[in-house]
Amino acid sequence: MVRREDCGSPEHQAHRRLFLQGSMAAGVASVASFNGLFSIPTLAQETKKRGKKCILLWLCGAPSQFETWDPKPGTITGGPFGSIATSLPGIRISSLMPRCATIMDKLGVIRSMSTEPSEHFQGIDVLTRGEAPRPPFTRPILGSVVAERLGQLDSPVPQFVLLDPCPEGNEFKSFKAGNWAGWLGAEYGPVRSGGEYAIADILRPESIDGVDHEDREALRSFLSRKYQNDQRSQAAAGYNAAFDRVRGLMSCAPLFDLDTLPVADRERYGPGAFAQHALQARHLIENGSTFVMVANGMPWDNHVFQHEMHQMLVPEMDNVLFQLVTDLEQRGMLEDTLVIAMGEFGRTPWLNEARGRDHYSKAWSMAMAGGGIRGGVVVGGTDPMGFEVTDNAIDNRRLFATIFKALGIDAKEQYDLPDLPTFHRVEGNVQPIEELLIG
Amino acid sequence: MQKTLTRIHDFKLPTAILGACLLGDQNEMVAACMDGIYRVELATKAHRRVAEHESYVSSAVYLPESRVFVTGGYDGKLKWFSAQDNALIREQKVHSFWSWDLAASADGRWLASVTGQYLAGDYKYAPAKETEPSVKILDASDGRVVYSLPHTPSVQSVVFSHDSQWVAAGNLMGQVRVWEVASGVEVGGFETKDFTSWGIIKSHCYLGGIFAMEFTPGNQELIVCGMGDMRDPMAGNGKQLWQRWNWKESKLVSQTLDKQSGEGLMEALCMHPAHESFVMGGRLRGGDWNGALFDLASGERIGTIKSGYRITEFLFNERGELIVVGGQGQPGKNDQGKFSDFGRVEVYEIKS
Repeated sequence: MVRREDCGSPEHQAHRRLFLQGSMAAGVASVASFNGLFSIPTLAQETKKRGKKCILLWLCGAPSQFETWDPKPGTITGGPFGSIATSLPGIRISSLMPRCATIMDKLGVIRSMSTEPSEHFQGIDVLTRGEAPRPPFTRPILGSVVAERLGQLDSPVPQFVLLDPCPEGNEFKSFKAGNWAGWLGAEYGPVRSGGEYAIADILRPESIDGVDHEDREALRSFLSRKYQNDQRSQAAAGYNAAFDRVRGLMSCAPLFDLDTLPVADRERYGPGAFAQHALQARHLIENGSTFVMVANGMPWDNHVFQHEMHQMLVPEMDNVLFQLVTDLEQRGMLEDTLVIAMGEFGRTPWLNEARGRDHYSKAWSMAMAGGGIRGGVVVGGTDPMGFEVTDNAIDNRRLFATIFKALGIDAKEQYDLPDLPTFHRVEGNVQPIEELLIG
Repeated sequence: MQKTLTRIHDFKLPTAILGACLLGDQNEMVAACMDGIYRVELATKAHRRVAEHESYVSSAVYLPESRVFVTGGYDGKLKWFSAQDNALIREQKVHSFWSWDLAASADGRWLASVTGQYLAGDYKYAPAKETEPSVKILDASDGRVVYSLPHTPSVQSVVFSHDSQWVAAGNLMGQVRVWEVASGVEVGGFETKDFTSWGIIKSHCYLGGIFAMEFTPGNQELIVCGMGDMRDPMAGNGKQLWQRWNWKESKLVSQTLDKQSGEGLMEALCMHPAHESFVMGGRLRGGDWNGALFDLASGERIGTIKSGYRITEFLFNERGELIVVGGQGQPGKNDQGKFSDFGRVEVYEIKS
C-alpha cells in the first residue's frame, strides 16, 4: 500500500503554469543536442528498454461503434457501410477498416463498453481518468499515472506528451497542468505539441553562445536551489523541476519536428494531422517517452454528417492503428507498448435529422493491442440492433483495471489525502478482464 | 406575390427518404429510402417496398418515354426497373464508392451519377485526389458509360440543363464543374467557399459542400444549395443558403437575401415547372422554416414550410400546383425494441 500526502499545495498553482500548452520558458541552457545525447549506444539502448509504455489514440468526440468494431449490416441501425471478414474466423468489422481486419489476431476489442456519462466533459473525465471526479481533488489522467509509475522523471525526453494540434478542439484547451496530473503534481502533466501547439522557443537563441548559456543556467540553478533549500519552498522545487524539463526538451527538440521523420514513414501513416502525430508518437516512444496521447480536437462528434465524416475518419484511424501495431511489432516493441484506441463513449443506433448520430454510452466499442493485451480476443457483444450490451458489460473501472494490470501498475493502490476518504487507483472491488490479459 | 403552401397529405414510410421521383401519372412516387425502393400512391398513401440496393438508396429518376425508373445507391450501383411491374431490367456497378446523386436528362437520353469518398489529403484534411472518376455519364437506354469525368471528392450533387446540353456536378469543397454532354468537354464552372466549413473549433477537417443544384431557365446560370459556414462544424447551425451563379463567367449573381434565412443544411432544390420560382428545403436548426418557395427573378422568399422533420426531396407535379415533400423524421426506439416509422411524405398545395 502506498500512501501519499504531497498534493493540494497552493504552491502548485505557480509551477503548473509553466506547463500550459507547451509554453515552455526560453533562455535556459541546452547541454547537448538530442542526437548527441543518444550517440552513446548503451544509453540509447537503456532508454528504449525501460519498462512498459503506452500510446493512447484518443478518438475525442466519440466514434461510432457501428462504423468501426461492431457493425450491424443489413439493419436499420447499421448505416450505409458494410462489414468485412477479418483474420479472426467469424469476426467481422466495418468495411471502412480493411487494414485492421488483417491484424485482428493482434488486437483486443471490447464490444460491450457500457458507461454512465453521455456528455463529453464527464465522459472524457471518466474515460481518461477511470473514474468520475470527486472534488475538490483531481484524479490524475491515465498519462500522468503512467508517467509517474513507469516513467523516468529525470529523463530529458518528456514522459507524458500530448499531441493535439487543435487549439479549441476539446476540453483540454482549458486544462492546467493540475487538471491533468491531479494529486500527483504538476511535474506529471503533459508537454503539449502539434500544429499550433508547436513548442515555442525550444532552440537556444543564436545571440547566446553555448558557454554563456551554460553559465546562465548554472547561476540560475544555484540561486534557485539555494532558495528552495533555505525556504523549503515547494514552489521553487517545482520551478527547478520545470527548468530541468525545459533543458530536456531543448535537448530533444528534433523529436518534436515532424520534418525530421522519414518521408516514407510519413506517407505510410497518411497525410492528416492525426496520422502524422501517431507516427510522431511512435518516434517519441522509441526514444524514451512513456506515454503519448494523440488527439485531433474532437472530430468524431458527428451530430451532423455522421457518414460523411466517418467515411474519412475511420479509414485514417484504421490505417494509423495498423501502422502503429505493425511498426511496434517489427521493432520488437509491441510486447511492451500498449496501444489504446478509444473515445469517451459511442454513438446512437439511430440517425438524427441532421444526418448525424448522437452520444450513446450504453453500448459501445474500443480496441487495444500490445503491452500485455492478448490479441485475437473480442470481448462482449450487443443485440442485433446495437441498442444494448447482451454479454459481459464492461465499465470504466474494469477497463482501467485491465489497462493498469497490462501495464504492471497496481490497480488497487491507495491514496490517502488530508481530510478525505481514501482514494484507490481504481475504485470498487473490480476485476480486470482476464481474457484480455497475457499471463 | 406571396404564396400559401397548404398541406393536403401526410404520412410515413418505414425509413428515411433520401431521393424520389414522380411517375408518369403524377400520382405515384418512387421513393429511394434507407432500406430500399418504395412505390408510393400519394392520394391513398398506400406504399410497398419493391426492391433494394445493398446499402441506402440515394436517388431515383424517371424516364417517361421508356417508362423506366432508375435508382442509385450507396452500393455504387444503378438499377433500372420497369415502371409497369417493377421488374429489374438492368443492374450496373458504376462506382466503387457511393452513388451520391443521380440525374436524368430532360430528353431521357442520359443519366449522370456522381461519387467520391472524402479521404484526408493533407495535414489539414483537404480532400485527397479521386481514386476513380467522380462523374459518370451513361446512355440511359443501355447503361453504357459514355464519359468518365474527373472532379474532387466527394461529389455530392449532379444536374442536367433543361435542354439536356450541359451537366453540372458540385462537391464538398463548393467546386462546380460543367461539361457538354455530347462531347464530355468541360466548358465552365465556379468555386464557392460559402458552403464548406473547416472546423476552427473541435475538428480541423472539412464538411458541407453543395447538396443540390438546378439550372435556371435558359441554362446560363445554376442555383446551388447547402449550408453556410460554421465555426463549429458539428453544430449544424450554418445559414440556410442558396446561391445563383453564372457558370460560364464564374460569377455570383445572387444569393439568399438578408433576413430570409434561418440555420440548417439545405439539401433539396427544385425548379417550378413555370420557371418563375424554385423551392429549397432541408433541416431546421434555427429560424422558422425549413422549406421555402423563392421568386426566381427577385430571390424573395414567397412561401414557407415548417415541416418539423428533415426535408430531403422536393418534387413539383407537372402543372405546378403541388409540391411533394420527402424526408426523415427523428427515429426513436419504441417499446418493442424497434424503430417507429421515420420516413415522411407530405403534399402541399400552392395557392396565391
